[in-house]
Amino acid sequence: MVAATTEQEQEQREDHDPEVADNGLPDSSVLTDKTPDWFKTTWHFPALVAALGFVFTILSYYPLWHTDLWGHLAYGRVIVELGGLPTTEPLLPLASGVPFADTAWLSQLLGYEAYQWEGLAALHFLFASSIVACLAMIVTRLYGRTGSVAFSLLAMMVMLLVGWKQLTIVRPQLAGLTCFVTLFMLLTARRWTRVMWVGVPIIFTMWANLHGSFVVGLMMLAAFTIGRAGDIFLRTGQVGCVLANIRVRRTFLLTELAFVATLVNPYGLGLYGEIWRISHHPNLQNLLDWDPLTIRMFQGQMATITALLLVFLYRASPRRVSLTEALLLVGFGLSALWNSRMIIWWTPLAAFLLAVHGHAVWSAWQRSRLRNNPPDEPLEQPEPAGKWSVVAIGLMWIFFSFTPFGTAIMHGRQPELSRSVSRQTPVAAAKYLNEHPPQGLVFNTYEWGDYLLFQGPPGIQLLIASHAHLIPKEVWNDYINIIGMRSEWQTLLDRYGANTIVIHKESNERMIKSLEQDANWQRAYEDDLASIFTRRKPIL
Amino acid sequence: MRKRPSLAGFIAVQVLVVVAAAVSLSLGTGQASVESRRFLTGNKLIQPVEVPRERGILIAPLYDEPSIVSDEELADVLKQILPRFPRKHLKPNHVEHALRTWHIDATFQNPEVLSGEEMKEFLVDHGKFLASWDQETLPLLMDRPDGVAVRWGSNAYSSVHHDHWLACLTEAGIPRDEPIFTPTRSMTIKDAIEEAVRDFQLDERETEWTTLSFALWFPETHRWQNGEGRVMSFDLLAERLMRGDKRFGVCVGTHRVYSLMALIRLDETYHLLSPEMHTQVYAYLENVRDLITACQFEDGRWPPDWQRGAAALTDPGEDEPYRSVIATGHHLEWLAIAPQELHPPREMIEKAADWIIRTTLEKTPDEILGHYTFYSHVGNALSLWRHTRAADFWRTWQADHPGFDSTPSNATAEGPAEGPAEARRPTDL
Repeated sequence: MVAATTEQEQEQREDHDPEVADNGLPDSSVLTDKTPDWFKTTWHFPALVAALGFVFTILSYYPLWHTDLWGHLAYGRVIVELGGLPTTEPLLPLASGVPFADTAWLSQLLGYEAYQWEGLAALHFLFASSIVACLAMIVTRLYGRTGSVAFSLLAMMVMLLVGWKQLTIVRPQLAGLTCFVTLFMLLTARRWTRVMWVGVPIIFTMWANLHGSFVVGLMMLAAFTIGRAGDIFLRTGQVGCVLANIRVRRTFLLTELAFVATLVNPYGLGLYGEIWRISHHPNLQNLLDWDPLTIRMFQGQMATITALLLVFLYRASPRRVSLTEALLLVGFGLSALWNSRMIIWWTPLAAFLLAVHGHAVWSAWQRSRLRNNPPDEPLEQPEPAGKWSVVAIGLMWIFFSFTPFGTAIMHGRQPELSRSVSRQTPVAAAKYLNEHPPQGLVFNTYEWGDYLLFQGPPGIQLLIASHAHLIPKEVWNDYINIIGMRSEWQTLLDRYGANTIVIHKESNERMIKSLEQDANWQRAYEDDLASIFTRRKPIL
Repeated sequence: MRKRPSLAGFIAVQVLVVVAAAVSLSLGTGQASVESRRFLTGNKLIQPVEVPRERGILIAPLYDEPSIVSDEELADVLKQILPRFPRKHLKPNHVEHALRTWHIDATFQNPEVLSGEEMKEFLVDHGKFLASWDQETLPLLMDRPDGVAVRWGSNAYSSVHHDHWLACLTEAGIPRDEPIFTPTRSMTIKDAIEEAVRDFQLDERETEWTTLSFALWFPETHRWQNGEGRVMSFDLLAERLMRGDKRFGVCVGTHRVYSLMALIRLDETYHLLSPEMHTQVYAYLENVRDLITACQFEDGRWPPDWQRGAAALTDPGEDEPYRSVIATGHHLEWLAIAPQELHPPREMIEKAADWIIRTTLEKTPDEILGHYTFYSHVGNALSLWRHTRAADFWRTWQADHPGFDSTPSNATAEGPAEGPAEARRPTDL
């Protein structure tokens, strides 16, 4: 409490108080930090918060991707309207009756409810916060291991660079990634706590309902168990030692409990079959996302650089290399080579281990340098102080308040749709379709199906959307033939009775030219991104 | 202090895993759970549909109209389409069409003409098929793990359309439990129906006969699954039949119309369509009625591009004459089972019948054989317009007219061409 003072009293204090500076103000250098110890941090904390907050702000303004997100919101809307999960495909007329196991129902439901609550701002927040949560966990764990801000930030950068392509597609996979990183952080904790027995199964129960990627979590748990067991066996050569090892036993039991936890989902054990069926569906072969990772891709180039750095660091690192690390890096790395989408699981592991071993190499080099040239004075260690925590909290608030979500919460102002979504989103075309609802089937660019399902006119009958595994193979092949303008593509449009065509201008120039010359079709709408053609005489 | 998990705890977790997996498997929903349960219990992965009747439903004709076709005219037309097929290299497609028109109980005095029983046996007995073809020919009946499938394609030794074999045998009155002899085992028509349910894909090109077969065998079943687990219904099948431009579909799009008409007729009794779908199908048929009302030629034939309506008259395409036989014969066939509200004006039907009778009677046996399938529809359509079946009428007619000459019109001394070259020619559709 600050007491009111008179000028006289002030003068008296100046005369007698040594903690008063010449300018008459209190000398802050002699103030005592009375914040509790647990609240005190070093400048490293606000530095890391600033970095994470910066990424959070950037991601909060990053345009929402034009594909999967909208389809998942559309399924979320169906779940809310039905009051349950649909058993067959509910949105595409040509996939009517196809069995539908919704492996991401909880993400869809939460996403849709969030959208209902705070609109686009909530979607931006969910997107940015899921990625930043992953980065924050990695940074926290690394800082705990290394005490280095630089290497913690290096891991963050590596994860963003290698995973950028996958991270920026807003879909339930991000929820899976958050679970994955959380699990990795728990498993790399220095000490085993009882929380693990409860926490890990809870993560898996959530994960099994958020996204089908929970299987990679089980694979990670298995890698930890096998890796640990392998290390002990290599060291002792005795199976008994492996079986007696407490960490091996714990991770083995934890893997089993995690498996049991995944069974708490609407499909039970059958969820595994559904995931197998989806991931092996032949339609996915036509999708770039499911192609092998190549060096032609940006993510492939970044992954190659990271892998080469890892090879170098593992060669130079003084740290003991565990079999678990090898299993994780090689296992998930190979799976990414098989299917580029899997790189999202390799990325946090690679970033983490790169930073850990990078720091080890750096520290060894530093030690050797100091041995050869000892410093005159001992190196200064940053002093913990309450003010850094206050600064960090202040930064968090500033970053939050600058985001669309913060603006929406505080001022009730929603971001504009056209600024919130990627430039490839057919916002204006959807608006046109809402104003002129199409009659009958709509042939659409695959990537736009999801957006049109969610933002297009109610009941729009699209030929295709991004849930490729739900499209009957005949329809899928016909779509490929039409969009590729293979022989009889126009006849196929007639066979399906498509009366409207919504296509991406840049990717379909030839088709647009052909339709312009076709007496059966007329251009109904055009903007910089999309063209809409309608049949002069609709097929009824 | 490090605490090692106890043995009891370890065992408890193992028990938990087993119990949880078992409970989850028994309670889980979704196709994979259901399939897993059926797999473990030894049941079939996809439950076969129940076929609740001994014979497929026969859709009764609605009219007896001598003004459209007289007894004499009908007898003359049927005489043209008697199944006088060469025994060597017998085409399944011809036999299917003939059997559908004449039914399995058809008998003929002329031993050169195949009876219903002979035709049926050719289709359901691999031995009889082999006797007509040879060991080198791929069998018509194909063994599948759980049933029997029928080879279909454009070659002469195959059925030409998917499930056409089944639809024709059904319309011919074959019993559900009729034995089928495949190259390796004995099965029944029921097995063939179940296999048809399993291997049907909604988006395949031709769904006309599958829809018709299913509707005639199990119209009470509102939902079932194909082999891939896709949930089917007659609503879905009807929607599929109506999909796209009307020019598509077998026999210039008329089989789609016939199958849709059959669905509407069956819906009166079995309510196999939802009210909304009934309305849609009925509207579709009304549209077909309006189109053919607008496009009949002066001589009574309907053009093959009838889907264009009046434009088919004002700007006729260059089509071969037999395609008008297809259009006119098939339209007369579905109209014979359609309520009057779906008919074009009466005089149009009469003119169409006059034209098709005249045209059929002008043809030589070779010409008829060359396009037997289309003329078989003419015979069936005209029989339906007299509220009868070809075999019944023929039997009565022959009994009442013992001196009736059943030699086809315009027959030459040599008779219809026969032999391998003719039989192996890709069959007409």
